[in-house]
Amino acid sequence: MAELHIIGQIVGASGFPQNSLFCKWGVHAGGAWRLLSGLKEGQTQVDNPQIGETAYWSHPIDLHYATKGLQGWPKIHLQVWHQDSFGRCQLHGYGYCHVPSSPGHHRVNCVTWRPLGTWQEQLAHTFVGGGPQLRSPDTIYSGADRYRLHTEAMGTVELELGIIMSRFDKFGVES
Amino acid sequence: MATGNPSVFLLTVNGQIEGANFPEYDNLYCKYCYVYGHDWTPTSGLDEGITQITCKGSQSNKLIWNFPLETTFKSTSPSGWPQLVVSVYGPDVFGNDVVRGYGATHIPITPELMLQLYFLSRLSIMYLLLLYQAFTDHPHVCSRAHVETSEVHKVITRVRSQGFVTVSFQIMTKDMKKLGYDTGTSNTQPYSADWSAD
Repeated sequence: MAELHIIGQIVGASGFPQNSLFCKWGVHAGGAWRLLSGLKEGQTQVDNPQIGETAYWSHPIDLHYATKGLQGWPKIHLQVWHQDSFGRCQLHGYGYCHVPSSPGHHRVNCVTWRPLGTWQEQLAHTFVGGGPQLRSPDTIYSGADRYRLHTEAMGTVELELGIIMSRFDKFGVES
Repeated sequence: MATGNPSVFLLTVNGQIEGANFPEYDNLYCKYCYVYGHDWTPTSGLDEGITQITCKGSQSNKLIWNFPLETTFKSTSPSGWPQLVVSVYGPDVFGNDVVRGYGATHIPITPELMLQLYFLSRLSIMYLLLLYQAFTDHPHVCSRAHVETSEVHKVITRVRSQGFVTVSFQIMTKDMKKLGYDTGTSNTQPYSADWSAD
């Protein structure tokens, strides 16, 4: 079995309309992949930056996968939420990116989007916040159910990922 | 001499804690320690330490420590790759040392020179007694508790990121390829430390 190590961090987010952000993240891999160690989902702390506009989390990721095939290469999916001073949480974006498939150090910028509702919901959103959310987080990283979904562009999440691959060349994989 | 198959690989870290950029604070020092998984053991060098106290120069907001980090680890698996955890302390208005921020980052996995910027954050509200106990003066407990305190506690903590610490690393590994681990070569440019943000 070939093995993949993902060692890095979710650095932070920028380009969102408000700061005081946190991120719920998870890693999804296909059926041939088995997680040997590490947490495959989690939530960062809330950061309210004092300098600059970027919210920084520096949330560590350390995962060890074993696999029998290339299908279902792991994907990191993210939900960026905003928490206001009263403790209420509001969705600011969904995004996903594939884990890089070549060994080494990679800097990945993951773009995010937010679902838009009807014009009444958008009007309510400007006054009281809230807004539609996805029923199932699978849609973040799958293209199957996105027909006729209206969304709005939001900011970017920056990740730094170091990839270590083992025994992939024995199976003939070049990367 | 027969070269047996190695069962462990070594990771040597040569680096320095260069300095920090904290617009609001001065006269800071830094405690650092390494946090790593069960497969890892440090074989040489210091596992934790404390820097000198530095203050800003006359020209800019830069705080410079230039503190050396030289450590070697051995391990059987990359899981639990070491992280450097940094805590920055400075005096409050009464002269007592209070914590100004925490940060952590993984040691790089490729040998290129890496400048890592930490985004130091200070907890603004502490909800749990456990977290409060973690902020005692013992650097080991404090730093490990910060990193290893888990997903559960992180969920309810709010922080303010208020500065950067720049650490540069150069690493070397021995026998990782013999054990079958491919770490590739990095094709990214290192960060340029944003010292100009004064």
